[in-house]
Amino acid sequence: MLTIKEESRRESHMDIDEPEVHGNSDVDMIIEPLSNKEDDEERNFWKNNANAKPDKFEIEEGSMELLRVFYKRFFPYKTYCYWLNYSIDPMNKSFQNREFNFVKPGDDEIYMRYLSFDTIEEFKNEVLRVCPKKIDIGAVFTAKPKEKKSLKLSALKPVEKELIFDIDMNDYDEFRTCCSGATICEKCWQLITVAIKILDAALKGDFGFKHLLWVYSGRRGVHCWVCDERARKLNDDERKSIASYLGVIKGGAQQNKKVHLYKNSFHPSLTRAYKIIEEYFERVILEDQEVLKDEREWTKVLEFIPDEAVRRRLNDDWRENSSRHSIEKWDNLVEELESSVKLAKNPKKAESLRFCKIEIMMQYLYPRLDEAVSTKMIHLLKSPFCVHPSTGRVCVPIIPEECENFNPMIVPTISSLYNEINDYDRSHVKNDGGRSLHDYEKTSLSPYIKYFDKFVQNILKETLAKNKAVMQMSMEF
Amino acid sequence: MVRSYLHSLYADQQSKYARLLIVFYATKSYKIMFSNTDTNNKRTLSSSTIEGDRYEVKRHNGKKYPHLLNFYSVPPTEEITIDEFESFAFDRLQVLKTLEGAILRNKSEEEVKKYLEETSNKWLPLHSNESGKVYPLQEERRKDHISHFILRLAYSRTEDLRNWFLKYECALFKLRFLRENPVEKLGFLNDENMRWKSLNQAEKKLLNEKLTKDELNTCSIFVTTDGELCDLFEIDFEKVPDLVARRVVYLREGKAYVPVTQQLSLVMYEFRQRLTKALELASKSFITLRNERIMPMLDEIIKQYDGRTQTVNYSIISNPIADNVHQLVDHFPLCMQHLYQNLCENHHLKHYARIQFNLFLKGIGLTVEESLAFWKKSFSEIDESKFQRDYAYNIRHNYGVEGKRQDYKPLNCMSLITKHRPNSGEIHGCPFREFSQPNLRTKLVQMGVRNEEHIREILNLAEEEHYQVACTKYFEITKGLLDKNNDNIIETIEHPNEYLNASVLLEKNRMKMNNKDK
Repeated sequence: MLTIKEESRRESHMDIDEPEVHGNSDVDMIIEPLSNKEDDEERNFWKNNANAKPDKFEIEEGSMELLRVFYKRFFPYKTYCYWLNYSIDPMNKSFQNREFNFVKPGDDEIYMRYLSFDTIEEFKNEVLRVCPKKIDIGAVFTAKPKEKKSLKLSALKPVEKELIFDIDMNDYDEFRTCCSGATICEKCWQLITVAIKILDAALKGDFGFKHLLWVYSGRRGVHCWVCDERARKLNDDERKSIASYLGVIKGGAQQNKKVHLYKNSFHPSLTRAYKIIEEYFERVILEDQEVLKDEREWTKVLEFIPDEAVRRRLNDDWRENSSRHSIEKWDNLVEELESSVKLAKNPKKAESLRFCKIEIMMQYLYPRLDEAVSTKMIHLLKSPFCVHPSTGRVCVPIIPEECENFNPMIVPTISSLYNEINDYDRSHVKNDGGRSLHDYEKTSLSPYIKYFDKFVQNILKETLAKNKAVMQMSMEF
Repeated sequence: MVRSYLHSLYADQQSKYARLLIVFYATKSYKIMFSNTDTNNKRTLSSSTIEGDRYEVKRHNGKKYPHLLNFYSVPPTEEITIDEFESFAFDRLQVLKTLEGAILRNKSEEEVKKYLEETSNKWLPLHSNESGKVYPLQEERRKDHISHFILRLAYSRTEDLRNWFLKYECALFKLRFLRENPVEKLGFLNDENMRWKSLNQAEKKLLNEKLTKDELNTCSIFVTTDGELCDLFEIDFEKVPDLVARRVVYLREGKAYVPVTQQLSLVMYEFRQRLTKALELASKSFITLRNERIMPMLDEIIKQYDGRTQTVNYSIISNPIADNVHQLVDHFPLCMQHLYQNLCENHHLKHYARIQFNLFLKGIGLTVEESLAFWKKSFSEIDESKFQRDYAYNIRHNYGVEGKRQDYKPLNCMSLITKHRPNSGEIHGCPFREFSQPNLRTKLVQMGVRNEEHIREILNLAEEEHYQVACTKYFEITKGLLDKNNDNIIETIEHPNEYLNASVLLEKNRMKMNNKDK
């Protein structure tokens, strides 16, 4: 039985002796539960294999062995470390003060947090020793994260971090008809392709960023790492404003219509996005996803229309002709909207009907971003070139200009790479002449690593040019 | 007479670190100095008192305060009495608190202006140069200046206090800026060296050709009758975060093109940046401030900080345990009912929903053990090891027994409404804001609101963005407070735990009444 206290006590929470100079509650709530983003239906590769067969031990050992081979022979340590060093000079603070996070192999998700490394060798040795099933990259701090325990809390503050974006297929589940949850196919991957195109154009065109590394997350999403110096130096508020600028889809599960732009649809960033969407809408949304196929599906679309009469007319019409193709039904919808704009007496209503078509199209194809990832400097994100724990696929870069041809289903996995390298070695046993190839060059991983090399070189060149300019400046004085 | 000297030493503005030092003076008087220390050579500039114009506020036409507006970049340099010290601080607090009240209650900008006008005239009058003959302008501005610095010091102590002060000082400055006439504004900005790169004719022409009329319009770029563009500034996008966030400005290659009419954003950015930095500096100096005369006064000033959102002991229920939670469901506000229902149906809640509900439970008074028991029971389909691995840590973290060990407070309505808005698939937040109108209607009916007039009233309030008022109305309707003509008018709900407490108390009072009747 519940009883009630008579008094409500007032107390002060203020800590008078120690001024709180570090962090705030929001920040902490995001970082601490870092295992959460994917926790909800995370199943893990090793565990699945383990449960599938009684000879659990062998298989688990087997995939561990594959991972070990991957880290030993394929992981591009040098390029990777120079990428995070942002300079061809010996490893500097940018690399040494960077937080890494490893997840230990095995059934339990054991996190090794606040790791940092002084040299490429140290990084490589630790990776080989631990054989992490996941590597996360965090921010660059004012000191070495590994020395956290011996530092004052206030001495370890985040100072730099790439601007990152996370697009997850999960967020398209409310209308995706071909697959759901963790599964993807070539049809729904198109949604991600369109998202990449729009976001890539906006980040380059509007914000002037040049060094964008797009990475396949290994399962059903992509990450974007904006590596320009200006992007790395953004503070959290500035990151928030960019995320808000790029965030068009708003609202949770209880809000059907998630795009409310009205006249803002004419913002140059959105008119550019709209042009891209127009190219794909018919094929991806109407043909592949068939969002107007049957009553259950089209009802969702009709709910976006702010006029009862229009909704009813379309619904009645389609009920009678339900076999009509989605493309034709969409034409009906557009016609109805156009004529109803003219008829609407209330100017506010006319306005909302006028922008309804654009808003619906945006809702389907404008990128759905996970804002929390982009707004906090300290947010950890899965590293490029690690292996997705549930698919075994390598998180390879995607060339944005060629993203249409990217097929996630044929991305190299640790087991396919293992087979490829063995096949190669078997057929090339006696070939001693000529330059010895890197292991990755013998496999389908090669183009991805070459692209990454080039990407990093471009960044390093820019740093070099900048340092040169600074040198010259100081020479002149 | 006890006199305190508010004495400041203004040294090098470029210096990165400032310290605030107190020098003990004779027996009963003190001297506070806002001083800057050059940490590179550890040279402290404080121990000597420097007099003279060099460190005075810049004089302008012989007047110390030429403008109503003030960026407060220069600390006051004069002696004040202890009476003034106290009264200045409290008077300014009155104004900030009125602003807070108006903003928290979602008043319209016009209403906020009106409130401000009233309290300002009473506590901290500040008039523009044009009315200089009627009012003692220098006197008013001196008070504004000094009171700002006292509060800046007092409110620099914790992150929460700093945020509070920053927020309402910005709001105050903004309203004052809006109220000031254009000529004065320009004069002020010129004196503060606030100038930005303007586009020349050729650049404007290029822009005009590139963008359509509609596009120009959404970017707040206006076209004059001669077909020319209005004057524009070219600014790094980082400097206009609010314009970028609202997507009302044209961006190209990292530059924002800001029309002269949006100057306010630029000014506010500058004001906010400077004050944020100044507060951080002040907080560092707080450690060195140990003084038996000044500290109690500063403590007193801080106590005025709105206690309701900060220091309430939330629970009125003694020793609640995990197994009782379901008995309380009828007292839950709609947001928590919604989460609880989902939890019961799906045996799971996502990240932010968990935080929201867990802190609410904490507010009810569940101990961390009880809370863990509750979640373990509710997540019935998740096995023990996964629960321990993926969830227990966060639940304990909310209670401040993991990680940074911060004692999180139950989220109030403002944070539920404004922070971490739900993405697709997420159900947390304030239902009055996050539900579409048809869904909200269904929900209300489901919760037992059957009267069409009532439903409409709540829907309208939600649509007009008066979410907390809608929630209050929902309380009154579902608790039968409207029908009986009684005077149990409750205040606007500002916290889910407040809702629960009000509901529990109401039931208790009714039971008492019934017992009496018998």
